[in-house]
Amino acid sequence: MKFYRDHYDTIIIGGALAGLAAAIELAEAGLSVLVLEQRNAPGGVSTSIVRNGFEMELSLHEMSGVGGESDRLNAGKFFDRHNIDIEWLRVPECYTIALPDRSITLHAGIENFAEEIEQEVPGSREPVLAFLRLCDAVFECVNRFASPSLSDVPKSLHELDIMFKTAGYSTKDVMDSLDVPEEAQALLAPYWLYVGSPLSELPFTICALLLADYIGHGSYIPRRFSHEMSLKLSECAEALGVQVEYRQRVEKILTENGQVTGVRTARGDKISASYVISGAYPNTVFSRMIEPPDQVTPTIYKTLNSRSLSFTVFTLLLMLEGTPQELGIKNYCVFTGEVAESDRIFRENICRIGSYEALIGVCLNHTNPDAVPEGFTSFSITALLRPEAFSGVSGAEYENIRQKIAGQLVDTMAERLLVPIRDHIRELVIVTPESIARFSGSPGGCIYGFRHTMTDHIGARLLAPGGGESIRGLFFAGAHGFAGDGMGPQIMNGEAAAKSVSDQWKKENGLLQKAMNAIGDNEYEGR
Amino acid sequence: MPSGITNTKADNEMKIKGFLEDISGIKRITKARLDAIKNAPDDPIPEDPIHALAMEWHPGELELQVSEIRDSGGSAKSFRLRKPDGSKLPLFLPGQYLVLTLEIDGKPISRPYSISSAPASSYRENGFVEITVKKPRNDGFFADYLLKNVQEGDSVRALIGCGEFHYEPLRDAPHILALAGGIGITPFVSMARAIADGTLDISMTILYGVNAPEELVLWNELRTLEQEIPEKFQVVPVFADALSQDRPDYPFEQGFLSAKLIQKYLKTADGISPDTSLFICGPQAMYRYLQQELPKLDIPKRRIRFDLFGQVKDIGSFEGYPKDLIDKTFRMTVHRGIQEDIIPARAKESIAAALERAGIRLETGCRSGECGFCRTKVLSGSYFVCPENDGRRAADKEFDYVHACAAYPLSDLEIRIPIA
Repeated sequence: MKFYRDHYDTIIIGGALAGLAAAIELAEAGLSVLVLEQRNAPGGVSTSIVRNGFEMELSLHEMSGVGGESDRLNAGKFFDRHNIDIEWLRVPECYTIALPDRSITLHAGIENFAEEIEQEVPGSREPVLAFLRLCDAVFECVNRFASPSLSDVPKSLHELDIMFKTAGYSTKDVMDSLDVPEEAQALLAPYWLYVGSPLSELPFTICALLLADYIGHGSYIPRRFSHEMSLKLSECAEALGVQVEYRQRVEKILTENGQVTGVRTARGDKISASYVISGAYPNTVFSRMIEPPDQVTPTIYKTLNSRSLSFTVFTLLLMLEGTPQELGIKNYCVFTGEVAESDRIFRENICRIGSYEALIGVCLNHTNPDAVPEGFTSFSITALLRPEAFSGVSGAEYENIRQKIAGQLVDTMAERLLVPIRDHIRELVIVTPESIARFSGSPGGCIYGFRHTMTDHIGARLLAPGGGESIRGLFFAGAHGFAGDGMGPQIMNGEAAAKSVSDQWKKENGLLQKAMNAIGDNEYEGR
Repeated sequence: MPSGITNTKADNEMKIKGFLEDISGIKRITKARLDAIKNAPDDPIPEDPIHALAMEWHPGELELQVSEIRDSGGSAKSFRLRKPDGSKLPLFLPGQYLVLTLEIDGKPISRPYSISSAPASSYRENGFVEITVKKPRNDGFFADYLLKNVQEGDSVRALIGCGEFHYEPLRDAPHILALAGGIGITPFVSMARAIADGTLDISMTILYGVNAPEELVLWNELRTLEQEIPEKFQVVPVFADALSQDRPDYPFEQGFLSAKLIQKYLKTADGISPDTSLFICGPQAMYRYLQQELPKLDIPKRRIRFDLFGQVKDIGSFEGYPKDLIDKTFRMTVHRGIQEDIIPARAKESIAAALERAGIRLETGCRSGECGFCRTKVLSGSYFVCPENDGRRAADKEFDYVHACAAYPLSDLEIRIPIA
């Protein structure tokens, strides 16, 4: 029996968003592509879980990079270009910040947003507006700089000066220099959560990308959970001739003389390929997947050791009896904590096992009521953790810790929102760093790639990639990619990996073509 | 610090330190990055403790050895499984099942079985896990094979710790009233053992429905546990058949697990109704009966949990199934990678069963449409999904993905399954 072809131009490890986006681009460019996904469905954590008939979103709160019909952004353009028709629902608000003494809800649109912050922090309108406009300008530049389409590439670096000018500073530096009041800074802060650094360490470039996209254009979710997006990507890939195989875990990436030659699966299939794009983290690949292992050079280890993994999460997916109105859950996305200052939360909260104060609550009904059975509320509670928080947990104590944290999350959120959550739980799924590590294979259960720091963010990564491509033919696409974490950027990460592969393929095929022409010529001459 | 940043113009043109100086700022960053890399140690990446934790709880399918087969009463046998080298087995939650895989006639075939031993017995040197298997009334060739052919010393494979039928303190009441039917007692034996060894902090009463006393499985074990922890655990058999002259010397009930009987046990001797969760495991006939009975009781739905329904044997009896097709056999084209096979598929059997008959391996877990191990794409043809066991996602339904254990062919079919 033969399940695979003799050779593929590219094997993609992992059928999540980045891998599937790469597969689609490569198939369109004419390469043969095999996607090997370890789970039984596409999307990685971009999926949903069905429990006793209740479907619950696993990880998507809001998808950035989509945009509306008139202001399509990168990911949205990708879906359009490939006729992937996803039923997007616009999230009606940005977020609510609920602190012990007050609660404020902010809406998309730069002017809106600044005005709403002005209401809370008088005198902050102008500096906040200036800050958001600056974010927007940087966002435009980065999009052009990183765009896969040639027509957008800037003619002169001066067109990108705002990006270069600001790339050397942290978000806090820039906010301070524009005199954004501390109180207003705190209201802009919740977004650092996703990228792993407090404002003082958060590169302004990455903050600009997030805020311009999110506040300027709003965010979206698919009507049928993130699984709709993942599934439509895999269907699109298959229609283009990509072979997508589920429940195939890649154990080894095979190399010869520093060049990728294929992969070996857990099942034992050895499959030949010219290029491999890995959705598995570089940490996992270089610590246990390269065969022979001595191909991993000291430079690769140095690069990895210079970086630090970003967050993992502890998440509860809850199906509550009662409507949001009955329960008193008023907003889609709520950031709640004792304080909103990111540096303090980062310092005090998330590096240890304990009780977590800074929580994110998402109530699906407020954007997608049809996805929730009548009379129920689909609600998730998430705490972000550093992976080291869970690193000391032993197998024997894991279950107790899991239950304790889950209980604490529910009780803290119940107290903040004044909602009696415990008495209404019909179904629940507890997602821990352990379950993410098992589910996705990511190191430390991380879902947000590498921490964005001043020396490791999209700008720095583009300008100085680091350790270099020591294993020829091996590429990466995932939250650990240059564009970073979050679902929107995965499309860009996938496109970028595909571009690297197809450039190399063209180059090598060009050479091959020349060689064949040369043989042809010789034959002709010989006659 | 960008102290020079000013915001004088409406168009937000920034003046920092002048373009060239800021370009050198960029250089600073790239240099800092390259320095960070240069100065980082070139040590290999240390082992990831969270990966190790995940592997400890969920190491995947294990090669195990049948170390002991014991008669457990009621024509059931308990199979004790260990690692061949006697090392620790993974933890699981009491109430969960394992997926057992046997080579039958050279074909690997899998079925789920509730674990009847306690997690603490697994998670130690020479640890073991036990399942208790009863001769099925009808068409249970796997259990038949297990009972007749599997010997002590044989090798089997098992995936330990599956399913959601376990106590979850955030969701469930700290007192469980268990309704067990026949061999459905097994997950509750695991729970009772965990209560006794102190790892599960709840109390539990089991109403154990069987036809007659001789059908009680693991009865001595249950009685011993009851005597060990009388304040936390109680088991009451409920006999469906009229009893003969020699009545048992322990408390029992007669009849079915009716609303009236359940009501009686929802109250303590002092007439108090403690917060109670009903946990239910038994044959499909019992589930159907209870679906009629439970609405008569004043119990919130979140306090009622059913174990998996199991593969249905009478798909023709479900509403919406086209009964005239039930005796048909169709042609099923099966794609695995670039491999293509054509096999027969009976209308009355699931797609998973057709594959199993044809010797095509498809990994299955719960056999109840819930776990999704056997997620399969239907490329063409029509099919029926058992409504009791439809655990699919909304988008999967739209794109003709089915769980093969719960989907039945209604025409010639073309499907794509994972390579196994």
